Amino acid sequence: MIAEKSKQGHSFWVDYFPLILVGVAVLLVCFIIGPQRYYQRVLLLVVLWICICSNFNIISGYGGQIVFGYMLFVGAGGYTSVLLFKFLGVNPWIGMFVGAAVAAFLAFVIGYPTLRLHGHYFAVATVAFPLMAIPIVAQLGWEEVHIPFAGRGIESMQFTDVRYYVLMSAILLVVFLIIVRMIERSRFGYALQALKQNEAAAEGMGIHTHRVKLLAFMLSAFLTGIAGTVYCFSILFLLTTPAAFGLFIIVRILSITIVGGIGTLWGPVIGAVLLVPVGEVLAAEVGDRWPGFQDLIYGVVLLIAVIYLPGGISGKVTEIRRRRKRLASPKVQAIVAPSNPDSPPKRGTPSSFKVGTSLAETRGRDPQGPILKVEGVSKLFGGVRALQNVTIEVPRGKILGVIGPNGAGKTTLFNVMNGYLGPEQGQVFFKGKDVTYLKPHDLCQMGIGRTFQIPQIFSNMTVLENVMIGAFARERNAPRAQAISEEMVQKMGLSHRGQDQAVGLTILETKMLEFSRALATQPELILVDEPMAGLNPEESHHIGEIIQGIAESGITVMVIEHVVQSLVKFADYLVGLDEGRKIAEGSPEEVTSNPHIIEAYLGQKWRRRYAKS
Amino acid sequence: METFLQLLVSGLLMGVSYGVLAAGLALIFGVIKIVNFAHAAFAVLAMYFPAFWFLEWWGIDPFISSIIALPIFFVVGYGTQRMIIDKVIGTPAAEMSTLIVTMGLSLLIENGILIGWSGAPRIINLPYTLGSFKVGSVLLNQAQTYSFFIALVLIAALFVFLNKTMLGKAIRAVADDPESCAYMGINLRFAYCLAFGVGIAITASGGCLIATYRPFNPFYAETIIVIIFACCILGGVTSVQGALIGGIIIGCIQMLSTMVVAVALQNVAVFLLFVLFLYLKPEGLLGRKGRVV
Repeated sequence: MIAEKSKQGHSFWVDYFPLILVGVAVLLVCFIIGPQRYYQRVLLLVVLWICICSNFNIISGYGGQIVFGYMLFVGAGGYTSVLLFKFLGVNPWIGMFVGAAVAAFLAFVIGYPTLRLHGHYFAVATVAFPLMAIPIVAQLGWEEVHIPFAGRGIESMQFTDVRYYVLMSAILLVVFLIIVRMIERSRFGYALQALKQNEAAAEGMGIHTHRVKLLAFMLSAFLTGIAGTVYCFSILFLLTTPAAFGLFIIVRILSITIVGGIGTLWGPVIGAVLLVPVGEVLAAEVGDRWPGFQDLIYGVVLLIAVIYLPGGISGKVTEIRRRRKRLASPKVQAIVAPSNPDSPPKRGTPSSFKVGTSLAETRGRDPQGPILKVEGVSKLFGGVRALQNVTIEVPRGKILGVIGPNGAGKTTLFNVMNGYLGPEQGQVFFKGKDVTYLKPHDLCQMGIGRTFQIPQIFSNMTVLENVMIGAFARERNAPRAQAISEEMVQKMGLSHRGQDQAVGLTILETKMLEFSRALATQPELILVDEPMAGLNPEESHHIGEIIQGIAESGITVMVIEHVVQSLVKFADYLVGLDEGRKIAEGSPEEVTSNPHIIEAYLGQKWRRRYAKS
Repeated sequence: METFLQLLVSGLLMGVSYGVLAAGLALIFGVIKIVNFAHAAFAVLAMYFPAFWFLEWWGIDPFISSIIALPIFFVVGYGTQRMIIDKVIGTPAAEMSTLIVTMGLSLLIENGILIGWSGAPRIINLPYTLGSFKVGSVLLNQAQTYSFFIALVLIAALFVFLNKTMLGKAIRAVADDPESCAYMGINLRFAYCLAFGVGIAITASGGCLIATYRPFNPFYAETIIVIIFACCILGGVTSVQGALIGGIIIGCIQMLSTMVVAVALQNVAVFLLFVLFLYLKPEGLLGRKGRVV
């Protein structure tokens, strides 16, 4: 969806004008309502809930880390500024930022350990914090804090006319929406969405996932801290712990974002416009007889939305639009696809895989010596010795093949080499530097690319966006990263699929996507894990050509492959592994005729037969 | 020393009740692999109905209600799984969706109670609510003592059900490897519904026990849900016996913490411990990775 728009060019107006219109619309409604306090209050609530939900969206929608204890930040912001105002006479405008800073600080303290947890462990862990805050705040004697009315108008953020609050929150809303849109369009935003879909792959693409999550969490909390202050000053006259830290806040946030569409800019806007007025009217109509009826409705809506409308309204709209677009241009695709079947890249031009300025050329390097060295590496899984004292040197600019039967430790070797696993013993040197315990994202930044045995793609992103995630490893600017990616996708013969969701690709296309993405990170060394698994001979041949092309452009390639026959055709050197040990190395001919290798693959009988012949 | 002993015993009595609630949660987590956020809400629902209202209407003792609650809440749990949670399982983001759905469910139950039976705190007032046995210098609350034994029986029954009956074994097998179970002719949906039903039933029963000695209100669930999570995590997340031990530890910590901090902050101590454990030892005190039920 993002790329759909960006395809039409990053027009400032297309991106940001509608956001300003939202603010104008709020003011227009405010003007129409006139001096009726009650309706102004409902409008104000709508705007404030959009603000809070948009901020929630940053970490939980785009980043996918659903913070069930999000009310902590609303309460922290509100309580800080109110207490500062009441007891120290601090101006709420300053208090607002102090509150936001407190919220961001709390996010750091909470997020630093818990963001390493996965899925529901993280969600449940965050719930504990607001529940802790309630008794602590109560114990300090602030269970109920009356907000004194200084009545100094704009100076004390206290207006008698609700319309001023509406104006203020409308401005805030536009600012928040612009921030969210900027994130959406930035490298940071892409990183968030990538790690949401596949954290391991995101690491491999040079994204420091923990840092990105933590930053998003703190930013989100900071902005919500600001919103919390405005919420307390404009809506509440009596600040209580349940009102500031209550579970109902997160249920409302979730209902609004999920109904509208989580992880989209317009989701919170749509959700709040639909739900908040209904909730408020219900509370006003039947709230006396049935207290809690409003929350009951939110609960029901949440249930229905999660079950029947998982993508929310904006998700539904995108889906319909996409379907219509596909219907509108079925012929083009039908003709292009078969006549251009995965369009074999034009080889022969050796530099065909260079992207921008090739790192292999521009970076200071010594052309002598191996680019990567594995020294005496051992890795244990429980009692299983996956790797035992393996030493390998990867010669620069060549294609090194790794062969061995199932369970020989080939993939484990790759995982140790690019940081997914730490070895028990031994060291890994990349360009002479010890990189043994560096993380995948560091190694990607240093110039090691990787494709996976089981393709690790960002399935809900388009092909182009997938490649952009790779390009962002070197290129901070989004339009330039997009240009690089478009070029790469074209070279790999995937341009006709550029705007399609990666989840619908064929196996070959998926592999091509992995190559494009890895090459977009501009590696000096690329680790390719079983690129031919699941492909027919013709497709395998195509992959072989691509690997040769990559090597010709000056990038060192290390390939794991099961099918020795195809590997022999293009590898410069081979290494044979069996049961975690290196059993052979040398030229392809040497290694394939090595009796250990024959035995490992085919058993002793064949070895004897081979020996006779 | 005497206070210490007194608090320790109270914590033990209290903790076993937590253990019952946590056992249900652990069963559900172990088998269906979902975190049931509405778990405590079901327990609170059982405090009102049957425990409180059966006593009000027909004078049925809450301890008898705790047995009556078993079949009622088995049906409730079975239906919840069948009609609501089952629809979300298997979708791409099932882990989060189920958590969100159960959170919505808990809000539904809490506010349903609020609307139907008002928000006033309720207390069951029977001779044993405040009565106590004296053992040496330690006072044992009568209601808590009875609850203690019933809770132990409940957990033992659950243990026997899971280990000795065919249905129980099927549930454990599903917890271990759902895919192979499907190939072995076990109906996964049925097993999930069964596990959820049993988990909710035992929790409801535990709720009735707690109702005999604790005042409660519609939002009591929000106070105890994290406590139950904490028991579960301590006990190894998916282990029923572990949940019991986790419950006892949490109960004791909750009581003993009052020696150091204000009574109102006793839960803060528990929550802190919970977060620490989640971070440092998410597989719990007893749990091994991948251990089931």
